[in-house]
Order: sequence, then C-alpha cells, then structure tokens
Amino acid sequence: MEKCKARIDSLYNGSAVDGKGLRCVVFFTGCNMRCGFCHNPETWTEKGIETTLSDLVARIKRYKSYIKNGGVTLSGGEPFLQAEFCKELCKALHNEDISVIIETNGLICDKELIEICDGIRLDIKNQERDVDKRVFDFLNTCQEKEKFVTMTNVLVPSLNDTAEKLNNLKSIKETYSCIKEVKFLAFRKLCESKYSRLNMPFPYEKYQEGTKADLQRAYDLMSF
Amino acid sequence: MKFEQWNGFKEGAWQEKIAVRDFINLNYTPYEGDKSFLAGPTERTKKVMAKVNKLLKKEMDKGGVLDVDTKNVSGLLAYGAGYIDKDLDIIVGFQTDEPLKRGVNPFGGIRMARQACEAYGYKLSDNIEENFKYSTTHNDGVFSVYTEEMRAARKVGILTGLPDAYGRGRIIGDYRRIALYGVDFLIEQKKADKVRYGKNDMSEENIKQLEELAQQIKALEELKGLANIYGYDISQPASNAKEAIQWLYFGYLAAIKEQNGAAMSLGRTSTFLDIYIQRDMEKGILTEEGAQELMDDFVIKLRLSRQLRTPEYNDLFGGDPTWTTESVGGMTDDGRTLVTKNSFRVLNTLYTLGSAPEPNLTILWSDKLPDNFKKFCAQVSIDTDSIQYENDDLMRPMYGDDYAIACCVSAMQVGKQMQFFGARCNLAKLLLLTLNGGKDENFGMQVAPEGKQFKGKLNYDEVMESFDKYCAWMSRLYINTLNVIHRMHDKYAYEKIQMALHDTEVTRFMACGVAGLSVIADSLSAIKYAEVTPIYGESGLIVDFDIKGDFPKYGNDDDRVDSIAVEILRKFSGELKKIPTYRGSQHTLSALTITSNVVYGKKTGSTPDGRKKGEPFAPGANPMHNRETSGALASLNSVSKLPYSCCQDGISNTFSILPNALGENNEKRVDNLSDMLNGYFENGGHHLNVNVLDREKLVIAMENPEMYPNITIRVSGYAVNFHKLSKPQQLEVLKRTYHGEM
Repeated sequence: MEKCKARIDSLYNGSAVDGKGLRCVVFFTGCNMRCGFCHNPETWTEKGIETTLSDLVARIKRYKSYIKNGGVTLSGGEPFLQAEFCKELCKALHNEDISVIIETNGLICDKELIEICDGIRLDIKNQERDVDKRVFDFLNTCQEKEKFVTMTNVLVPSLNDTAEKLNNLKSIKETYSCIKEVKFLAFRKLCESKYSRLNMPFPYEKYQEGTKADLQRAYDLMSF
Repeated sequence: MKFEQWNGFKEGAWQEKIAVRDFINLNYTPYEGDKSFLAGPTERTKKVMAKVNKLLKKEMDKGGVLDVDTKNVSGLLAYGAGYIDKDLDIIVGFQTDEPLKRGVNPFGGIRMARQACEAYGYKLSDNIEENFKYSTTHNDGVFSVYTEEMRAARKVGILTGLPDAYGRGRIIGDYRRIALYGVDFLIEQKKADKVRYGKNDMSEENIKQLEELAQQIKALEELKGLANIYGYDISQPASNAKEAIQWLYFGYLAAIKEQNGAAMSLGRTSTFLDIYIQRDMEKGILTEEGAQELMDDFVIKLRLSRQLRTPEYNDLFGGDPTWTTESVGGMTDDGRTLVTKNSFRVLNTLYTLGSAPEPNLTILWSDKLPDNFKKFCAQVSIDTDSIQYENDDLMRPMYGDDYAIACCVSAMQVGKQMQFFGARCNLAKLLLLTLNGGKDENFGMQVAPEGKQFKGKLNYDEVMESFDKYCAWMSRLYINTLNVIHRMHDKYAYEKIQMALHDTEVTRFMACGVAGLSVIADSLSAIKYAEVTPIYGESGLIVDFDIKGDFPKYGNDDDRVDSIAVEILRKFSGELKKIPTYRGSQHTLSALTITSNVVYGKKTGSTPDGRKKGEPFAPGANPMHNRETSGALASLNSVSKLPYSCCQDGISNTFSILPNALGENNEKRVDNLSDMLNGYFENGGHHLNVNVLDREKLVIAMENPEMYPNITIRVSGYAVNFHKLSKPQQLEVLKRTYHGEM
C-alpha cells in the first residue's frame, strides 16, 4: 500500500450533499477539462499533496462511525485521471465496509474502476458545446455494469437552461436506465475568490447565478 | 411500609427506604414507537399561552425585567399565591405572588441584590437593607477570608465567574421523592439520620452535619407550608399524575425561592412521571390530550422561572438563563431504554407551546436509543434549535442510570451526588502570564511569582517548562479560592431544601473549569510549528506576537495540535488533584464557558495564535471561529479526542450548520443529523449543542427583532432567546463557524 500514491488537493470530512448520507470527499488534483464555472480551479494547476494509499485510508477510517449510511465520494479534479490509485482505494475502503462513489465528467471510461465503485455521479458538461461523445462510451459501461448513476448538471442561466439542452439531457436519461436520478446544481459564484487568489480570470464572471426558480423550471421541463 | 397511593405499582425495596431509581426501574414502560401518538395543545393551553406570551412581551418591552418585589426577602413562605389565571392553571405556583415578578435574594450578597434592583429602576426596601446590616452574607464571608493573591486573580480575570456573590447552584434536589413518598416520610428519614449522627463524636464535621440536618428538616416543614399556600397537603404521596407533577414542582419551586444559584436544574423527571401517567391511563382517568396538557402546564411554569441578576452577571451568563435542565432518555444498566411516551411529550412542548430556551431539554444519547426517538430528537433540533445532546454511553458507566445534568454538562446521580460549582480558569491568560514572567498582560500587576523572561523567538520546550510551574501555582490558588467560597456558601447560604432532597451521605464534586482551551492549544501549536516572537510594549509587557509561517489548528482532526489540547487538560486536571479540597470533594474539570467566552476574550491580551487583544474566545471546547477548514466531522473529531476521564464535569461543544448543508430535504436532514450524533458519541464525544440555522436569518433577526421574536439558539450548554443576548454576544454568535458544506 505504501507504494501506491496519488496527488490530492484535500480531504473534506462531512458532506451531506455529495451522495447518500454523510460522506468524506477526496478532492483529487488534476483535470482534463477547464470548465468556466469550476468550483475547484486549484485542482487544475496546483500540484496537490502526494498521499499514500495507506495514509488516506487511515484518515478516512477516523470517520467510520459517521459514514455508516453514507460513504466516501471521490471528486476533484477528475478522479479517473488517477484511476489506478482509485481502484486500490476502492478495494481498501471496501475492506473496511465503506462504500465509494465517484464524481466524474465521464471522459475517461476506465471499465475496471466503473465496475469496482459503488456508484457514479456523472456531471454532464453541456454549457458551451454538445455533450462529448466519450460520455456515451462511459454510460454504456455503466449500463453494462448496472452501476447506479446520478446525472448532475450545473445550470447556468442563458447557457444551458434552454428547452433544447434540457430535452437533450432528458433523452440521455431515457436512453440509459442506469441513470436513476438527475440533479441540477445551480451555478454559483462562491468560487470567485479562489480564482483571484490563483491570479486567474473567472471565465463565468459575466453569467448570472442560477436561482431556485431556475432549478424548478429545469426539473419541470424534464418532468421529473 | 405501604401507602394506598402506591396501589398498582410493583412492590420492591423502594417501599422501605428512599430509592427512586429502583421504583423507576421496576415500574416504567419503555416506548420504542414513533411520535404519532402525540396530542396537540388543548384550547385551555392555548388560552393560557396567549396570556403567557403577552406577559413575556411586556417583560421584553420593559428591558428584561417585568417587576421586582423589593419588600420581601425571597423564601418558601415569603409570598402569597400567584397564578396566570386561577381558573385555568392546572399546575400551580410562582416564585412570588405574580408571574415574572422577581424576588430579592440577598443571602449571596446584599450589594449584588441592591445593584440588581437599581439596574432595573427599583430600590431595595429600607427594611431589607436594615435587616441585612446585621447579618453576614455568603459574599461577606468569602471576602473576609480572600487573600491578596485571590483578589488579584479575580481582578485580572484569570479566575472569573466565581460564585462568591450569588448562589452557586448546580445542585439538583431529587424532587421526585416528594411525589413518591410525601414530605412526612422524608422528614422521618432525616430525623432518623439526625439520631444516628447524634451518637457520633462531636467533631466539627459531625456538628456541621447535624446542623444541616436540622436545617433540612425545617425546610421540609416549610415545603409543606408552601404547598398549603396553594391549598395542597403534600405530607402524603401523590395519588395521580397531576398530583405527582404538582408535588414534584412544589419541590423545585421551593428550591428556586430559596436559592438564586446560576443553574437550578430540574433533574430527570419525565420518565418518572410517565409511570403515574401510564397508571392513570390504565385506570381510564387520563387521556393523551390530558397527559400532554399536564406536561404543557408544568413546562409553562418552568419557563417562567426567573432570578434577579446584575448586568455584569448577564455578561457572563447571557440571555437570563435558569438552566432548568431536564435530562431525557438514556438507557438502564440492564440495557433497556429509559425513553417513555413522556420523553416524547416533554419534547413535544416545543411544538404545543412553541420553541423556547427553558427548560433546558437535554437528550441522554445512547447508540441503543430507539431509532424512532433518535429521529424525533433530530427533527426537534432541526425545527427548534432548542435541545442539546450528551453521551449516555460515556456517562452511564460512571454515574449509573439515574444521573441527571446540572446546568449544561455536569452529570451527577440524582439525590446522591452534588457539586461545588467552581466557574473557570482562563488558560489563555495563564499562558500570557507565563510569557510575561508572572505579570498580567493588561494590568501589569505581578499576579503570580516572578518567573523566566522570554526574549526573541519562543521555544516550545522552554515555554512549556515555565508554563508547568505557573500551572501548579494556578491550581493551588484556584482550589484554595474555591475552598473558601464553598465553606462560606455552606455556612451562610446553605441549600436547605435541595439538600433535604438528597441522601444525607452525599458525594461532593469540586467542579473546576477551563476557558480558552482552543486559544491555548492553537497558541502552543503556533509556538511549536511556526515562528512566534513576542512584541514588547513600553511597559516591558508583551503586546502582540509576530507569527511567521503556518501551524496546525485545533478543529481539523490534526493530532499534532489536538494532542496539545489533550495534554493541557491532563496537566491542569493532574495539578488540581494535588490540592486538597473542602469537605473531601472529588476534583472534576469542565471545558465550558457559558457565554463568558466573550468576557474572557475582552480581558485577555493578544495571543500567540494570532487572536488579537479583546477578541472573543471560542465557547467551551469549540475550535476557534472559522479555523476549522477540514469539514464538520473533522471538527467534531478534534473535540471528541478530549478525554472525559479527566474532564468529568463536561466538555461542551456547540455546533452550527446551515440547513441546506445538512441535506437536501427534511427526511435526509433528520437521517444525517442522527448519523452525525451517533458518530460523534461513538467516537467518545461528550456534549453537542446543535443549531440548524442560517446565519443570514440571525443577521436579519438582529436588525429586525420583530421579525423573529422567538428565535431560540443554543449557545454553550443552554439555549437562549437570541434577542436576550447582549450585542457583543450576538456578534460573537454570528462570528462562529457555520458549517456550510457538511
């Protein structure tokens, strides 16, 4: 276990909004996308902290008593960029009876990792262009492995809250029965200070934040 | 022995001697179901509450005190009967002859009583002034003995909140005994004890015991007199649920008439009362609506308990609290849940009567509590922010299954153990005293013996070596000061009625406390892991610190600093235990501040952790505001590392979380909060105050009080109406960490 290493940004202990129950969230560094609304731009450029598998597992185990009905969420950055480590992490956490779900953009379809984890939160990036074709490969694998998939989508007013975009999502949902739930996340600008700290322009500064009403409209349009 | 009032109860040893715990164990009915059986308020209750709310509004409009009886000295028989509405009241009795009219209790100190009257525009009657010219108060006694060193420690605020001018409180009479046995039986027992002690050699302690027994017997006689004022004879046991509540309440009422202790807690009564309610229901003479109505009326009376305080007192204990703490739930030694339907009913008063800070409802949480009850508690927290949680699985092995919480976090066996309340020592200031060679950083006084002068960058080992010496000095001074206070309290303001409701052979705790735990932990961490250099002012004292580099901060589940917090507690507890205590009381320690964390901060200079002079401390054992960046559970893990074994008077943690962060809908919030409590207590955490609320809502409430007149929040082992806090206290509450992304 000592040899297995990853670069992570941080471990956040106690999220109630990144999957079922209370969860520990591992934020991996490194991403293969540069979404303008990203909340964790520090994971793009910063090197993160080199962490061994045993160290990370030991840290997570401290929260076992809390996360019995929840688990661990791998997030980032893009966890699939460090798929080998993630597989080992899943195995080690399973040995501790801790369930693991992964948040991903779905561009890297690592079949083994999809198989071994307990669920996928697939964030569909359709704000500026159409859904990348690789996402469908990813979903095909999820379908094949009967993985529980939660489809998420960051709703940016005027960008991807149009009927066309939403209908597109709806058809994805209807095509893949492994997608058990859909969650819209309102675009927020809470991350603005992170960009300024990193001396980076915040690409989505010009857009408005999503509101509760925007979310409701999206759910209604998709008739969920 | 057998009373006809006991018909229907299972027989046992409790009939021969006072043994309430055995009575409960034999007779109660555990309840594992959900809340669906609960009834709402009756029309009568709604009518009474409308009157109560009017009175409360008047009290608030008048600046916090509705009226003061300046003519009589508070006592069991000092006033005539008082009612909200004589025809509507079911459970009767007020501290004076009118609800919310405060009595004057000068036994702690006449000056405090005088100032309290004046603060609200009243004048203590000449009659009382004249009488107390010739009597010694607790305060007179203490100050006649205080040494220069004790006065200095008090003045600079290294010891603060000492009960040397008011009642010490934190004593819980076993008020259930009155309902179960009637007062005559209790008097007989005390008389028998008196005969027994009369046969001993007349040592000073034995004479003191005999005098106290005489006072207790007299107080029990007066208790019957108090009931008589309201038309009741409580010499015999209670025969039904209504009487059981009324008998029990007369006991509590007598206590708050006699004493103005900071915390006058109720005990553990709801499951005891359930036995009477259950019996009445089986007889067909009480319905669920009726049972809720009885509990509602009882709780209304408890909510209207008041003491007359000075504004300085309110700085320490903000929001006019009484700590009418009622402990609910827990398990028996043999593994049954002590949750009954009445545990639900007492929590249900937060809905039937609306949320309120008192009584201070405290859930004794066990992993084994019925799931339905856990969920109900979580729901109540989410809806009302009015209840707190303490770890039954941690306390039960030490205190058995019939303990209750006094004040915020102090456990004691009901009727068998009591404590000498010792307020707290300011550890952050003790560190500054160490760094200034025994001088106070604000006053410049040489408070402690002269010690090492520090020059340049601070070295951790050198600082600790010096700190150890001051820790030993402080511990001796602290215990000695408490010994003086409690000897004088016993002498001049003895808790006659409350101790009459204890076994004569009682275990006593010397309950010390610390404030500023997170400040000293982070400060020492900074000295150890960053570069800290003191900056000296003109007077040669440290005015600030130059801090270079980062350091681990308590509240992030980082053992490097959490272990420092643990070490400090062990060290201080160990030093205290070396000093003999008054009446052989057992040393205990708490990490609890009430709202005094604001005052402590005000009196403490800049500290090596980067906290600036005058800034508030975090409350209790909480990490410092907004230094917890690793998530809510990491913060909880840091606090749960503090060892209860050396902090047996309680470790207080106040936790605030945004509703959205706890889950996306109500059902998930309930489940997640329940999981969080399970996890915290499984990890050995002792106490948790839970607030589920938006910071923004408090900001709005602060600016527009009329929008949220009844906003209740948990602060430090108790709940307050937010509007009753002072402005600095409100601002401190806003500064706290609101876990956002939990």
